[in-house]
Amino acid sequence: MPIKKKAQNRLKAADSPWRAAWSRFSRNKFALIAFIIIVLMFIICFIGPILSPYSLLDYDIKMKNSPPTTTHWLGTDKLGRDILLRVMLAGRISLIVGLIATVIAVFIGATIGAIAGFYGKWVDALFMRIADIFMALPTLPILIILGVVLSDFKVDPSQRIYFIMAIIGFLNWTSIARLVRGQILSLREQEFMQATVALGLRDSRKVFRHLLPNTVPIIIVTATLSVAGAILTESTLSFLGVGVVPPTASWGNMISAANNLVDLDKRPWLWIPPGLCVLITTVAINIMGDGLRDALDPKAKKN
Amino acid sequence: MFKKWSLVLSLVLAVSLLVSACSGNNNGNNAPAANTGTNQEAGTEQTEAPAEAVEGGIGLIKASDPSKNQQIALDRTDTLIVGMTEPQGLFNPIFGQTVYDRYVYEIVFDSLVEYGLDASIENSLADSVTVSEDGLTYTYKIKEGVTYSDGTPVKASDYLFVMKLLHDPAYDGPSDIHSAHIVGGQEYYDGKSDTISGINIISDTEFSVTVSEYNALTPMSLGGVYLLPEHYYGAGYKHGDLQSIKALLDKPLGSGQYILTDYKPGQEVVFVANENYFKGAPKVPNLIYKVTSSVTDIAMLQSGETDMNDFTISADNVETLVELGYLDVNVHLNNGYGYVAFNMENPKFSDKKVRQALTYGLNRADVVEGIYGPYAEVINIPQSKESWSATTEGINTYDFDTEKAKALLDEAGWVVGSDGIREKDGVKLEINFSATADNPVIDALIPIMTLNYEELGVKLIAETLEFNAIMEKKDRGDYEMFFAAWGLTPDPDNTIFITGGAQNDFGYSNPRVDELMAAGKKEIDIEKRKPIYHEMYQLINDDAPFIFLYQRTNGTASNARVDNLIYSPYKYFSASLYQTTLQQ
Amino acid sequence: MKQYIIRRLLQMIPTLIGISIIIFTLSAIIPGDFITAQDNPNMTAERAAQLRAIYGLDKPNYERYFTWAGNMIQGNFGDSLMHKKPVTDVIGTYVWNSFLIAIFSLIISWTLAIFVGIFSAKFQYSLFDKLVTLLVFLLMSLPSFFIGLLLIKVLALDLGWFPVGGMSSAGFKGTTFQYYMDVLEHSILPITVLTMLSIGSLSRYFRTSMLEVIRQDYIRTARAKGLSERVVIFKHAFRNAMLPAITLLGFELPGLFGGAMILEQIFAWPGIGKVYLGSINMRDYPFMLGFTIFLAALTLIGNFIADLLYGLADPRIRLK
Repeated sequence: MPIKKKAQNRLKAADSPWRAAWSRFSRNKFALIAFIIIVLMFIICFIGPILSPYSLLDYDIKMKNSPPTTTHWLGTDKLGRDILLRVMLAGRISLIVGLIATVIAVFIGATIGAIAGFYGKWVDALFMRIADIFMALPTLPILIILGVVLSDFKVDPSQRIYFIMAIIGFLNWTSIARLVRGQILSLREQEFMQATVALGLRDSRKVFRHLLPNTVPIIIVTATLSVAGAILTESTLSFLGVGVVPPTASWGNMISAANNLVDLDKRPWLWIPPGLCVLITTVAINIMGDGLRDALDPKAKKN
Repeated sequence: MFKKWSLVLSLVLAVSLLVSACSGNNNGNNAPAANTGTNQEAGTEQTEAPAEAVEGGIGLIKASDPSKNQQIALDRTDTLIVGMTEPQGLFNPIFGQTVYDRYVYEIVFDSLVEYGLDASIENSLADSVTVSEDGLTYTYKIKEGVTYSDGTPVKASDYLFVMKLLHDPAYDGPSDIHSAHIVGGQEYYDGKSDTISGINIISDTEFSVTVSEYNALTPMSLGGVYLLPEHYYGAGYKHGDLQSIKALLDKPLGSGQYILTDYKPGQEVVFVANENYFKGAPKVPNLIYKVTSSVTDIAMLQSGETDMNDFTISADNVETLVELGYLDVNVHLNNGYGYVAFNMENPKFSDKKVRQALTYGLNRADVVEGIYGPYAEVINIPQSKESWSATTEGINTYDFDTEKAKALLDEAGWVVGSDGIREKDGVKLEINFSATADNPVIDALIPIMTLNYEELGVKLIAETLEFNAIMEKKDRGDYEMFFAAWGLTPDPDNTIFITGGAQNDFGYSNPRVDELMAAGKKEIDIEKRKPIYHEMYQLINDDAPFIFLYQRTNGTASNARVDNLIYSPYKYFSASLYQTTLQQ
Repeated sequence: MKQYIIRRLLQMIPTLIGISIIIFTLSAIIPGDFITAQDNPNMTAERAAQLRAIYGLDKPNYERYFTWAGNMIQGNFGDSLMHKKPVTDVIGTYVWNSFLIAIFSLIISWTLAIFVGIFSAKFQYSLFDKLVTLLVFLLMSLPSFFIGLLLIKVLALDLGWFPVGGMSSAGFKGTTFQYYMDVLEHSILPITVLTMLSIGSLSRYFRTSMLEVIRQDYIRTARAKGLSERVVIFKHAFRNAMLPAITLLGFELPGLFGGAMILEQIFAWPGIGKVYLGSINMRDYPFMLGFTIFLAALTLIGNFIADLLYGLADPRIRLK
C-alpha cells in the first residue's frame, strides 16, 4: 500500500513541467545551499542590527581605525563606528537595490526583447530603435538631473536611493532586450515552433510557454551578473548626490571609502567584510541561477 | 546588461575621482581662488630656515634621511619634474582657467608687478611704477633690454595689445578688465574706437594708464597683466575675432623663465630654461610638468619619478611620505574655508540668536578631527589665518556648548514640543540641509550635525547633491541650510557679505559691514586697511551668517635634493622657479 | 538583404534626431551652466551676462537647438568651452589613447573568455569550472578602481615591474620605435585591469551559450557519427554557441572609443573618458553634446552591424 502511494505522488509531482523543474531544483544540493545562504543574508542584515549594541549614528573618534577586538568584532572605521553593524545595515540597502534594479531591467528587457523578436517587422524595428535611443542616453547627466528633481520634490533623502535604482533598472533593459531578441530570432524558425503554429496556439502562449523558457539561460546569466553590477554601481552614486546619505552605509560605498593605498594595505578589515558579502551574494545567486537553468532543462546532466 | 552597469559605474565613479582632484579657478590677474579641490595652492614655506618640524600638524617636516633617496632621482641632476593634475592646455594668461594652466603661463610669461609672499605688491617686469596725485594715472617703466624668447624686445605697445584683447567683446576668458574702469575701455568694447584712449604710449618702454575711478584692487588690475608679444599673437587679430590667438594657446611665446618645447596633452609639458631671463637664468636647465592622478601622485614621489607634487592631506598620506625619509613634506594652510550657510530670508534663520545657537550647538571640533585629524583647524571668520586682514581679537570662538545653544533657542521663542522638536507659532524647527556630495567632510558633518541638533530639539533632514546643483539652488535662493567650501582671493574684498552683493545669495545685510567693506576697498594703504577689516570680521563673526567650519590644509611633498622652493598662499612655486636648485 | 541594409540606414536618421533632441533637452535641464560651474568669486553679474551672450547661452532653448543641430549636420561640432578648440580637435587628441587600451583589452579578453567559456562548459562541475567561477566572481565583486589600486601597489610599487602610471616616461627622448615600446610598457597595467573586468561577464555568457549548445541533439549526432571530440566542440558546438556573442560584440563598438573613465583617472592615462567627465562637471555643453552624439552614432552602427552579422551567421534567421 505505502509503495503505491509514493509512486502515485511522484506521478502527480511530475505532472506539469514547472513542478518537475522544482523537484529537480530542490534535489540539486548546491542550488539549495545557495538559496539558503541568500535567505540567511537577508535575515542577518535585517535582524542583526537589532541585536547589536551599537546604532547607526554612534561614533567615537578616539576608537577610530582599530582592528577587530572583542568589543568590535570586525573593527572600526575612520570615525570609530562598528564595522559589523555597518556591514549588516549596508546589506539591507545593497541587497534590495541590487534586486530592484535587476528585476525591473530583466522584466522590461525580456518582455520587449521577446515581443520584438517574435513579431519582427515593424514591431521589431520600432522597439529596437527605441532601445537604440535608450542605449545612447548619457547616464551621468540623467542621474544628476534626477537628484535635483528628487530634491525639488522634497522626497525623503533616505528613500531616494530606491527611486534611483528603479530608474537605473529602467534605463538598463536594452542589453537584455537585444540578447533575448537575438535568441528568439533563432528559435522562432526552429521546428518546434512550426509545431506550435500547426497546433494553432495563441501568440502569448507561443511566446511565454515555448520561446521564453528557452531564453531563460541567457536571462539568468545576465540577471546574476547585473545584481553584482547594481550593488557596485550604487556605491558610485553618492558622489553625484543620488546615493545614500551619510552615515547610511552600503557595501559598495564601504569598499570605496577604503579606496586608497594605505587602507588597502594596512586595514583589510575595512574592505574585506563588505567585499566578501558582495562576493557571497553574487556567487550564491549565480549558483541558484545555474540550478534553475539545469532544473528547467530536461536534457541537463544529472549528477 | 553587465556592460551597462560597468559603464554607469565607471561614469559615476570617475566623477568622484575627477572632482576630488579638481581644478582650481582663476581670474587671470589676481592670484586665483581654489575650488573644493584638494591639490591646490602653496603654503608658507620660507626658503632657508625650515619651520619647526611638527609631528602631525601644520608645518614643514624636512627629509629625515636623504641617503635613502631613489637613484633615478639622484641621477637626474639637470631636470626638475613636477607632478600635477593635468592642465587644460590654455597656456595663455588671458585664457588660462585652472591653477595648473597658471603654473605653465606663469613661467612662460611675465607681468609688470606680482604678489610677494605676503600678498604685498612687488615689481617684476616693471622697473618703476608711479601713481599720479589724484590716484587715477599709473605710469609704468619697463626694464631695459628684456626680450621675448625669440629675441624680440618687450615693448610698451604690447601692453596696449593685451588690453585690447581683454576689452574685446569676443573675449571669454576669466579676467574681468571692465572692473578696472580704464578710460576708453568701454569705447573699444563697443567698437567705437580702435584703440583705448586711457592708455598712453610714451616710449618703447614707458606708458601710462588712466582710470576713471580707483580702489585697492587697481594696482594689481593694471599691473598684474602679463605681456604678450604683439608680433606673434596679434598677427591674425581683428576686433571681435580672437580665433587666431586661441589657435596659439598651446604654443606660447613669452619673456619668462622657461621656454615651452613640447606639450603632450594629458601627459606632460616640457620646458627648457630661458638663458636670457631678465631676473637671471634659471638654475635648473630642464623642467617637466608631469600629469599625475590621486593614486599615482604619491606613488611617483615614492619611486622618484617626480620631484614634487601636491597631495591630499590625511594622516595616512603624511605618515607614508614622511616615513620614506627622502621627501620634504610641507603641510600648509589652504586659502579657503568650509562653511554652512543660512538662508536668512527664511523666517527660521532671520533671528541672530537662532544662528548663534546652531553654531554653539554643533561640535565643529569633532567634525574637523574626524576627517582631517590634526590637519585642519576650526575657523571663525571668513578669512585665512595667514592673511594680514585676519584677527583673533574680539572674535567669538563659539566653543561647543549644548546648554548655551538651548538657552539661546529658548530666548528666541522656540519651545520644545511634545515630540521633542522645538516649535514657534505652529512651525516646527525642522531644517532641510543640503551638502555638496563630493566633499569628504560630509561623512562626519552630517551624522554629527544630526546627532547634535537632535539634542537641541532640532530635526535635521539631510540630503546630498552634486556641486553645481547646490550652487544653482544657492543662486535661486531655494534652500534652508547648505554646506560648501570655497576659496579666498588674496585681497579681502568680495561681494559675499555686502547687502545685494553679487555673491550674496544668503539674504545677509548689515549696514555697518557695507560701510566697512566699501572703506576698505577704497583705501590703498595696507596699515590703514587692517583695522577696517578687523572690525568687519568681528561684526560678521557675531552676526553668524554662516557656521564657519574649517580651514583645511594642503600638502606639498618635494624630493630632498630640491632646494629653494619658494611659495606661499599668495605666490605660487612657479613664480620663483628660476631660483630653485637641485643638489648635485 | 540590400533592402534591409537601406531600410536600417534610413531608420538611423529619425533615431539620431530623436537622440539629439533628448540629449539637448537634458543639457538644458541640468542645473548650472558653464558660467556657474566656474565658481568665480569675483564674477560680476554684468560679466556673467556678457559671457552668456558670447556663448549664445542667453538665447531660448529651441533656437539653440536648431543652431547646434544645423551646425552638426554640416560637420561642425562647435568649439569646446573648456578647451577653446573645436570639439572634433579635442576628441581627436585624446580618443586614440583610449582606443589603444580598449582594442588590446578587447582582443585579449575575448580570446581568453572564449577558451575559458568552452572549457568550463565542457567540464561542467569540475574543479576547473568551480575555481574559474570563483575567480570570475571575485573579480566582479570588487570595483574596478580597487583592482587598479591593487595592481599598482603590488606590480608597480612593490615589485617595480611596471611603471606606476602615465602613458610614457617623463621627458622621453628616443626613436619612434623606442617611444612605442615605452607606451606599450605603460599600457600593460591599464590593459590588464580592463581585461580582468570584462573577462568575467564574457566568460559566463560563453559558458552558458556553450552549455546550451552541447546539450543539443545534433551534438549527440556528431559524436555518434564518430567525430573526434575536438571537431565536435570546436567545429560544431563553438560556431553555434558564438551567435549571442555577435550581439555582445555590437555593444563593444562604442566602448572602443568611449574611454574607460575610472582607469584613465587612476593611471593618469590621457584618455577621452576623463575629458568627457570634466566636460560634464564644468557643463561644457558643446563637448558634452558632441561627444554624446558621437558615441550614440557608434552605438547605432554597432547594433546595426551586429544585426547584419547575426543574420548572416545564423541561416535560420530571415532578416526582413
